[in-house]
Formats: sequence, structure tokens, C-alpha cells
Amino acid sequence: MSDNLEQLFVKQLKDNQNIIHKICRLYTNDEDAHKDLFQEITIQLWKAFPKFRGESKFSTWAYRVALNTAITLYRKSTRSIATTSYEGQKHFLPQDEYNFEEEEQIKLMYQAVHQLNDIEKALVFLYLEDKDYTEISETLGISEVNARVKMNRIKGKLKKILNP
Amino acid sequence: MEELDLLKKAWQKDTYPNEQISEVEIYKMLHTKSSSIVKWILIISIIEVLFWTVINVNCNIDDIMKEQHAENTIVYIKALTIFNYVVILWFIYNFYKNYIKISTTSSTKQLMQDILKTRKTVHYYVWYNLTMIVLSLIAGFVIAFVFNPKMVLLKDKIAHESNYHTLLITLGILTLTCVIIVGLFWLFYRLLYGILLRKLNANYKELKKIDL
Repeated sequence: MSDNLEQLFVKQLKDNQNIIHKICRLYTNDEDAHKDLFQEITIQLWKAFPKFRGESKFSTWAYRVALNTAITLYRKSTRSIATTSYEGQKHFLPQDEYNFEEEEQIKLMYQAVHQLNDIEKALVFLYLEDKDYTEISETLGISEVNARVKMNRIKGKLKKILNP
Repeated sequence: MEELDLLKKAWQKDTYPNEQISEVEIYKMLHTKSSSIVKWILIISIIEVLFWTVINVNCNIDDIMKEQHAENTIVYIKALTIFNYVVILWFIYNFYKNYIKISTTSSTKQLMQDILKTRKTVHYYVWYNLTMIVLSLIAGFVIAFVFNPKMVLLKDKIAHESNYHTLLITLGILTLTCVIIVGLFWLFYRLLYGILLRKLNANYKELKKIDL
């Protein structure tokens, strides 16, 4: 593949890397696994890049490849137990908006999401990314109605995890 | 759900300052090797197809038949060999066709289906070969029994026995051999693909459940 294409890809990926970090964080438990999954997603994105025609945004296109890699292609088990040590280091709220109570609530919610299975995480991921149910159903290959029903069930499940 | 919406707000603002990766690092990643299950399935499948094809083609049945003094069965064996080649080619074509369909830009469900379909093609190929081996074993025994002069002793013994002891023992050994061969392969495949496809199968089941 030409150097030009490679340059274009590297730049696009660098500018859009947060999408991949979000997925890696959701599907892995520690920094090494995070890096490992990031690398595999990068390879898969690069392999699929010649077919990317720029009809959609790079980020929209990358969602699908990255999610598919995390759920299906990545060999190591992505099923995870919420680890406080890893998540504990993370701050969700920026310093100027810092609010202890809110930060704690977000952390607990994030840990609850971590306890979901791979497919449920994918739905939550797309929901958090503010995707509509048409896109969620197309990305996962399920019907729109059922995507909606499943999302409601997941919300119930999260509630149960938070208030056992 | 209030907490989920709080997370959503924080989630969208998140900038991942500690994880940022530079262009140089991305370049490096592009030149590392993938370890995806699709790659493993391809490697294992190629080894399987080669292994079985070599075993299948190398089994020189003509010589065995001559040894058994069963030359008149050779014409049937030749027809079977041609049939066998057609089947091998058909399998390889199908495997290739299914393999190139696997794409990370498909929907999650489609991708899983395509991977499992590719896997199944090889699976059928292995079972086809195992069936052929068992059938050859049985046919070989029958042919040997009918044509091989060395079998006269055994035939005599069976003919003169009223309690079928020798016949039962012979059939028993034959059945046991078949069961052991098939059993060992079955175990090997269960282990190999059990490990490789466990996650995929679990996620596929979960995804299918949503659309029930």
C-alpha cells in the first residue's frame, strides 16, 4: 500500500484515537490489555482502510471495525470484572467541574457497566456515544425494536448492580 | 436513568490524556502482526486441509488391493479417487469463498456468522475424511476377508464355530478401532475449537437471544 495512504491513515487514526481508547477501556482490565487491544484494532482498521471511501466520517466507520475487533476478533477474553485499582486512577470529571459526589456516582456506574457481557457493553457503548437505535441496530445486526428492548433491560440490570 | 446520563456526559467529554498515542507509535503498530482469531482459523484450516489432503492422496489403495489379490476392485477404487478429488476441490473452493466474505466492516452478527460458516466448511471436510477412513477400514477388511488367501484360516474357524466367538471378536476389534480413531479426533477438535471459539460462540448466542 502506498506511503500516501499510510500517512493519511495514521493522521486520521491519531485524530480519532479516543473512540478506540473508549472501547479498549470498556473491554479490558489493565493497561497492558488496553494497549494490546488498541494495537489489534489499529491493525484491523488499517486492513479495512483501502475499502474506506470517505462516504461516512472516519469515526463512524471506525466504530464498527473497532467494536467488531473487541467483541469477535480479539483472542483474549474480554469478559471482565470491574477492577477498582485500574478504574480508581481515572478521573471522569475535569478539574474545573469537579464534584466529589458526582464523580463517585459516575465511577460506580462505570464499574457496573464493566460487569456487563460483551454484547451488552457494545449496546451501552453506542448509547453513551449518543447513537440512535437505527445505527445501533445496523452496527450489531439486530432489529431496531429489539435493540430498544435490550437497552431497557440493560438499564434495569445496571440498576440492580448499583442497588443490590 | 440518572446515573447513566451522568456517565454519558462525562464519557463524551473524556479526552484520555494518559493513553494518547503518537503517530510514530501508530506507524509501529501497522507493522506488527495481527493475532485475531480469523488469522488463527485461517492458519489452522490450511494445516487441516493440507494434512487431510496429503493423507487422502497418499493412501495408495491400488497397491493394497494388489496385495490383497483383489485386482478386480481397482476400477471402483479409481472412480472413488476421482470422486474424492472433486470433493476436495469443492471444499477448498467453498472455504475460500466463505473466507473472503469475512469483513470487519460487516455488522457484528454478520461477521460472527461468516466466521462460523468458514469454520464449518473445514469441519465438514474433516468429518468427510474421517468417514472415508472408517469406510475404507470396513471395506478393506471385507475385501481382505473375501480375497486374501491368508484369511482362509479365519474364515474356516468362523464357519466351523457354532457360538460365533471368533466372528464376534473380529467385529469387536474392527468396531473398537473405528471408535478409537473417531473418538480421538473428536476430542482433539473439541479442545482446539472449544478454546478458540468459546468467546465467539458465547457472544453469538447472546446476540441471537436479543432477536428471539
